[in-house]
Amino acid sequence: MSLDWHAALQAVVHHPLFGVGITLAVYQAALAAYERTRWMFLQPVLVSMAVLIGVLLLAGLTYQEYRDSTFLLSVLLGPTTVALAVPLFLNLKRIRQLFWPTLVTLLFAGVLATALGVALAWAFGADRMMLMTMAPKSVTSPIAMLVAEQIGGVAALAAVFVLITGVLGAMCGPELLRRIGVHHPAAQGMALGLTAHAVGTARALQEGEESGAFAALAMSLMGMLTAVLLPLVVVLVA
Amino acid sequence: MLLRGLTWLVLFQLLGTAINVLFLTLLPGPIIGMLLLFAFLVVRGEVGAPIAEASSGLLRYLPLLLVPPAVGVMVYAEQIAADFWALAGALGLSLIVSLLFAGWLMQKLIDRQARREERP
Repeated sequence: MSLDWHAALQAVVHHPLFGVGITLAVYQAALAAYERTRWMFLQPVLVSMAVLIGVLLLAGLTYQEYRDSTFLLSVLLGPTTVALAVPLFLNLKRIRQLFWPTLVTLLFAGVLATALGVALAWAFGADRMMLMTMAPKSVTSPIAMLVAEQIGGVAALAAVFVLITGVLGAMCGPELLRRIGVHHPAAQGMALGLTAHAVGTARALQEGEESGAFAALAMSLMGMLTAVLLPLVVVLVA
Repeated sequence: MLLRGLTWLVLFQLLGTAINVLFLTLLPGPIIGMLLLFAFLVVRGEVGAPIAEASSGLLRYLPLLLVPPAVGVMVYAEQIAADFWALAGALGLSLIVSLLFAGWLMQKLIDRQARREERP
């Protein structure tokens, strides 16, 4: 009797849990690789994304089918976004004495980070969908993805822009900041969290406790501000 | 504890979704939920143990939850290739300019505040 290997493979690949299974496996492998090497380019989400795309292409699965079979994971993204309020609240207590510098920097630099990205992409000739995807690049991915979708961009692409921005900022941010004479840990953390969100915050935490706290704060405030204001601005401008 | 906190988070998200449909179609439901939870925490003045446990548990796995949406980029490979240099240039340039500006501005403002506190 010959075994039907093909049928077995098809049954596995099209099982409703296949997506969750490969995502969990690949993510853990990517995380282990990152923890072993500590190499900034090996961002677990970025690596998992690349490997999973390869797996899907090999297995002949469409993105639609993969997305349906990872519903278990994606449905948790909503409550997790809600949970971001907790670190924001905890960090807010720490900044009392630097309240005004934080607020002013947040407003001016936050607007610059968003507007400059869109303006440059527009000047370089990217189309409207790309501009809308580019706008929330400086905020943490769950917010960026939600906002991008809301204003007519592409959530998946926004996640990629966010990651690239974060990795770039974390890689060269601290060194560049020192070169121009930014030495206060709160200022360094603020710059990293504001422009390079979660990846920048992780980097700021390596620089020190105060720097990390301000980065986390800047990240949450920037996320919240973008989520609230960007959709409004887009409606008013368009 | 974990389940109780999770229930709260889901409740806030559902509340956010209802508000999104009723009044605020501009803001995504989970974001409204986050603002509501934040207001709730400010009013209470502390984070209760159930919510703290559930949120730290979920936030630990946030990168994992972001993987499936990120894979969606495979659908847009052509558009990215078409605009590649515009996108790469805009991302890199705007990041460096705004990062340095944010650090410089914050440093200046901190210095100014410190000087003002020295002479009362």
